[in-house]
Amino acid sequence: MMPANLVGTAVALGLFVLAGGAYGVLYTASVARSSILLERASYLCYVSQLLIALAVCLVSPLGLLWKLFIATSALAYGFIPPVTWRLLEKMHHQHAQ
Amino acid sequence: MYRSQRLALRYFAAAITLFGVMTAAGLLSALYYVDSSLLYNVFDFQMAKILHINTLVIWLLMGFIGAVYWFLPRELGREVVGIWLAEVLFWIFCAAVAVVAVVFIFVQYGSSDQFSMWFINQGRKYVEAPRWAAVGIVAVVLTFVYNVTATAWRARRMTGILWVLILDLVPLSVLYLDAFPQITNMSHDLYWWWWLVHMWVEGTWEVLIGCLMAWSLMELMGTSRRIVEAWLYIEVMMVLGTGILGLGHHYFWIGTPQYWLGIGGFFSALEPLPLLGMVVHAVYDAGTHHMKTTNRPAFYWVLAEAFGNFIGAGVWGFMMTLPQINLYSHGTQWTVSHGHFAFWGAYGCGVIAIIYLVLQQTRKAQNFDSRAWKWSFALLNLGLVGMVGGLLVAGITQAIYERAQGGSTLQAFVVASENQWFQSGMYARVIFGLLFAIGYLVLVYDLLVIGKRAAVAQRTQEASA
Repeated sequence: MMPANLVGTAVALGLFVLAGGAYGVLYTASVARSSILLERASYLCYVSQLLIALAVCLVSPLGLLWKLFIATSALAYGFIPPVTWRLLEKMHHQHAQ
Repeated sequence: MYRSQRLALRYFAAAITLFGVMTAAGLLSALYYVDSSLLYNVFDFQMAKILHINTLVIWLLMGFIGAVYWFLPRELGREVVGIWLAEVLFWIFCAAVAVVAVVFIFVQYGSSDQFSMWFINQGRKYVEAPRWAAVGIVAVVLTFVYNVTATAWRARRMTGILWVLILDLVPLSVLYLDAFPQITNMSHDLYWWWWLVHMWVEGTWEVLIGCLMAWSLMELMGTSRRIVEAWLYIEVMMVLGTGILGLGHHYFWIGTPQYWLGIGGFFSALEPLPLLGMVVHAVYDAGTHHMKTTNRPAFYWVLAEAFGNFIGAGVWGFMMTLPQINLYSHGTQWTVSHGHFAFWGAYGCGVIAIIYLVLQQTRKAQNFDSRAWKWSFALLNLGLVGMVGGLLVAGITQAIYERAQGGSTLQAFVVASENQWFQSGMYARVIFGLLFAIGYLVLVYDLLVIGKRAAVAQRTQEASA
C-alpha cells in the first residue's frame, strides 16, 4: 500500500463510522423532536456514509472481501437507528402498560 | 449509610488521587518527546510510562470496585457480607499501590532475576507491578467477588443486573491470572497476555461498566429496571459477540497463524455497531427527559461516556483495525491516540459520572450544580480531544515515513521522529495535556465542594420553615 493510499483509506474508514454515528444521533433526535430538518440532516449523513463506502470500494487498495464487508456494513448502519428506536419504544410502551 | 457505601467513598477518593498521579505521569511522559534529555538517567521515559499506564488501570479498577460497593447494598437492601475484610483489604491495597509507586520511582529496575520479578518489576507491560503486589491484587479481587456473591446469596435475592455482574466477575478475576506466567517464547507469551489486556478492556470491563451505567440510569433518570435490564442483555450480547473474537486484531503481527488477520479484522470491524446502538439509546433517554435532570454533572458525563466510547473506540478504532492499515499503524502514536480516546470515553467518563451521582446522594443536595463542573468538563474533554488529535497527526506521520516509506528500520524511526509533523503533534500533546491537567484540578475542587452550600441552604430553609 502506498503512503497516500494508507492515509486516504484510514481517514475514509474513520469518516465512514463517524457519518454512521452522526446519522444515528440526528435520526434519534429528529424522531424525538419530530423535526423534519433533523431528519433530512440525518439522511444526508447516511448518504455521505454510503458515498464514502462507495469510494472505499472503488478507489482503496483493500481486498475484495474487505470491500464487500464495508458495503454490507454500510447497509447495516442504515437499519440500526430506526430498529434501535423501535426497540426502545416497544420496551418503554410495554413498561407503561 | 451502609458501611459498604462508606468504603465506596474511600475507593472513590483513592481513584481520584490515582487519576491525578496518572495525569502527572502522562504529562511527564509527553515532555520526554519534546526534550529527550529530560531527567536522563534519573527518571527515564519508560518509568514515567509504566507509572502512567499502571495508575490508569488501578484508578479505573478502584472506581469500578467503589461503584459496586455503593450500589450493591441499595440493590439488595442489606449490608455487604464480609465488609470488614473488604475494609481491611482496601487499606492493604492502598499501601501496596503506594509501595509499588515508591519502588517504581526510586528503585526503578533490577537485574534479570527472581528477586526483581517479585519485588521490583514483573516486566509484563500494563501489569508491571512486582509479583507480591500482583498476588495482593488477586486477593483484593477475590474478596470483592466473595463480597458480591455472598451478599446476593445471603439476601436470597437476585436481579438481572446482579446476574450479569456476577457472571462477569468470573472472567474478570480469572483473566488477571494471565499476569503471572513466565513464558520464554515471545509469541506464546503475547498470545496469552492479550487475553488479559484485551478481554479485560474490550470484554469484562465493558460488561462491568454496562452494569454500573444500568444502576446509574435507574437513579439518575428513574428509568425502570425492566428497561435497563433488557437493554443490558442486548448490549452484553453484542459487545461480547464482537469483542471476544475482536481479540484477533492484536494477533496480526505477533507470530500467530494467518487466519487471525481475517477473524480479527472482521470482528473488530463489527465492534462499532453496538456502540452506535448505545449512542442512539443515550440520545433517546436525553430526548425523553428533555435534557432535564437534578444532577447535571452526572448526566453530562454519562452522555460524554456514550459519545466518547463511540468516537474513541468506534471511529478511531475502525480507522486502523483492518490488517492492511494496521500493518503500518500498529505500535505508532496512532495506536496511542486510539487508546487515550477509547479509555477516556468508555471508562474515565463513566467513573466520573458515578462519583457525581454518589456525591449528590451523600450531600443530600437537590440543587446539585456548579460553575466548576462545567469548566472541568470542558477542560478535560477539550484537553483530551486535543491530545488525541496531536497523537493522531504524529502517528500518521510515523505510519507514512517510518513504516510505509522507510520500511520500519531504525533509521526510518529516527527520520519519522524528526519530522516536523511528528514534532508538532508532540508539542500539541503537551499543550493539551496541560489543559487536561488543569481540568483535573478543577474537577478535584468541584468534587470537594459541589452541593455542600446548596445542602446547607436547603437545610436552613427547611429549619426556618
